[in-house]
Amino acid sequence: METQTPSGRKGRAIMVLGATSDAGKSVTAVALCRILSDMGYSVCPFKSQNMSLNAKVTADGHEISMIQDLQCQAARVEPTFRVNPILLKPTSDMRSQVIVEGRPVGVYDVPSYYGEFIPQKGFGILRENLDALRDEYDFVVMEGAGSPAEINIYDADIANMRAAEAADADCILVVNTEWGGSFAYVLGTLMLMPEDDRRRIKAVLYNNVRGDTSGILEGAAELSRLTGVPVLGAVPHLDCRLPQEDSEFFRHTDSVGDGDAVIGVVRLPRISNFTDLDPLYGEDVTVRFVRSPSELEGCGAVIIPGTKNSVSDMRWMRSSGMADAITDLRGMVPILGICGGYQMMGRMLSDPRGAEDPDAGDTPGLGLFDAVTSWPSDDKVAVRDEGVFNLTGEPVTGYEIHMGRTETREDPLFTVGGKPEGSVRHGEMLFGTYLHGVLERPAFRRHLLSLMGEVPAREGDVYAEDLEAAIDGVADGFRKAMDTGLFRRVFMEGF
Amino acid sequence: MALMVLGTSSNAGKTTLAAAICRCMARRGIAVAPFKASNLSLNSYVTDEGAEIGMGQAMQAWACGLEPAADMNPVLLKPSGRGVIQYVVNGKVHPGGRPEPEYLLEQACAAYDRLAESYAMVCEGSGSPVEINLMGRDIANLRMAAERGMDIILVGDIERGGVFAALYGTWLLIPEGMRGLVKGFVINRFRGDPGILESGISRIEGLTGMSCLGIMPYEEVMLPEEDSISAKKGGRFSDARKAYMESLDRLADTAERCLDMDALMLMATSDAAAGPRR
Repeated sequence: METQTPSGRKGRAIMVLGATSDAGKSVTAVALCRILSDMGYSVCPFKSQNMSLNAKVTADGHEISMIQDLQCQAARVEPTFRVNPILLKPTSDMRSQVIVEGRPVGVYDVPSYYGEFIPQKGFGILRENLDALRDEYDFVVMEGAGSPAEINIYDADIANMRAAEAADADCILVVNTEWGGSFAYVLGTLMLMPEDDRRRIKAVLYNNVRGDTSGILEGAAELSRLTGVPVLGAVPHLDCRLPQEDSEFFRHTDSVGDGDAVIGVVRLPRISNFTDLDPLYGEDVTVRFVRSPSELEGCGAVIIPGTKNSVSDMRWMRSSGMADAITDLRGMVPILGICGGYQMMGRMLSDPRGAEDPDAGDTPGLGLFDAVTSWPSDDKVAVRDEGVFNLTGEPVTGYEIHMGRTETREDPLFTVGGKPEGSVRHGEMLFGTYLHGVLERPAFRRHLLSLMGEVPAREGDVYAEDLEAAIDGVADGFRKAMDTGLFRRVFMEGF
Repeated sequence: MALMVLGTSSNAGKTTLAAAICRCMARRGIAVAPFKASNLSLNSYVTDEGAEIGMGQAMQAWACGLEPAADMNPVLLKPSGRGVIQYVVNGKVHPGGRPEPEYLLEQACAAYDRLAESYAMVCEGSGSPVEINLMGRDIANLRMAAERGMDIILVGDIERGGVFAALYGTWLLIPEGMRGLVKGFVINRFRGDPGILESGISRIEGLTGMSCLGIMPYEEVMLPEEDSISAKKGGRFSDARKAYMESLDRLADTAERCLDMDALMLMATSDAAAGPRR
């Protein structure tokens, strides 16, 4: 590839749109970031607005969505808040905490978000960050959100065609063929757009094809004759181990893995940062998402993950019977709480101001630790951590995102920056920490698995290696399935 | 005449919606039966007569207050691994190779006619009706509806997004000569305030001439576990069936509230000769 982008010129924008919310946009963007990076270009991902409860923290202490962080890794760039300047973290069915440029700015409901926030601030945030990235990189691989043809909110939709317009992006429409109806979705998406937007869509990619791709390609060619939009390819179902976003993950997943040892992960109603569990998927265990006490049967360990609302999820733990079921397991199997899950393991969640949940007050926790969590201010901790596992002195890494503060009388599990972190009762196999990603490094993962009987943990930084291999695997899969000539002509050279 | 429920994709909620409509009609004392010309499924149910049909039609039969019967699903395609498909026709395994589509359509029409003699019909299609690479061989959707002059409604799943595109794209890909059969659409699995959809719905109505027949909110239906249903005898089976019926009755209440049930029932019963039966 000889295509050069002269320095000082704005980088080309390639935008990945999806016909539905789980079309495979994110993974397509991962693949394109890696493919362009492999070619020697500087490339950066971008998604103006992402709704997700899986967040990561940048080196500067800004919150961005997990998936843009992953795309940065695919692009081999250090993530900054610009790659995902608006992050929506749902706190209830109709309300979200809005994170702008890495910092929380408030909680909005649907009418106030689309009626006030977007028109007043949204477009400015979109343009400023997108422009900055295009000044810096040869290519910006943009990702849309949901369908770009939601005609009832079309003009307020800054995540799709308005973003494409702002960057003068050439767009790829991705459709998931798994459920069928993909030709209808593609045609309908194109035909519901105004002409000016429609002509930005330069190719269609048929994703997640099960079995032989020839039938889909036959139909795709026929549809292409009808619409004039060429086919970029048909990507087979790729068995990749990339972290997945919320909606996609829980639509398809009750458990991961097939090992005899079962780790029960409490499927909290507001579960967040469940990519914390990803490092377990490569081990010889079954990770089972548990919604009711009976599903805890046979679990050799229990993990209470993070949540966007630990107060309301603690109430759910009580009403669902999960709280009693878990405390019954005390001392019998290891129990690990991460972030919100750690808060729940204490005696009390004290929220008189209603900072975590509008239904203010004191909520009893599981009482596994002599610890109390409160929300003294609206300051949010967002930081990357490096520390040690106190039991062995081995390194651990992770990141914290929380507003609550926990005061504990227990021994600290870790030491981070010279300070105690988390709580532990080794005799009862109880572990609590604010560190997301704590299972990525081998030390603590190995310890947890060793307590489940003789489950061997893989050594070394296998998780990081697996993730790199998965990104390369996805890039290979797309490279093979795509019409690379078309991709180069239309998306890289702009013909 | 009959009502035919077609989906914009394979997971749009056709089976459950058809079951809810069946339930609403049965509760009003209408003799109604379910029908699916051709079903691609691993989940089958064995009727009292020893015929194998799709599980969806068995559950719809219960919704109608009927015992499942072979005619309700005359063609069942069971993937048996490595791309091999077993054909079950009229409840029995079809010997030999793949039957011709025209033969299957004949069998389906005959089964349909036997049921339609005594019942108002609520039919469902299979997958999307507009897989343009497969439409020539597809008997389960538009062919069946056209053969018997059914009124078609489209069901779109809004949970995954893109529902307006799915509805409009499906309508556009239906051959012009058949579009007259398509009377309306239902938006399924919606969460939130339906008011937000208004402008989109009226645009689709204006573009296609279809009417919106309602917005179904997201609701979990307690489907019986496969094995508990296949174990036909004993308490587990009747418990599973009972739990399903309770769940279905709640869904039928929702359907009464959220759908234009009069219009849907009129489609299912509008054959003047047959008339609504009591």
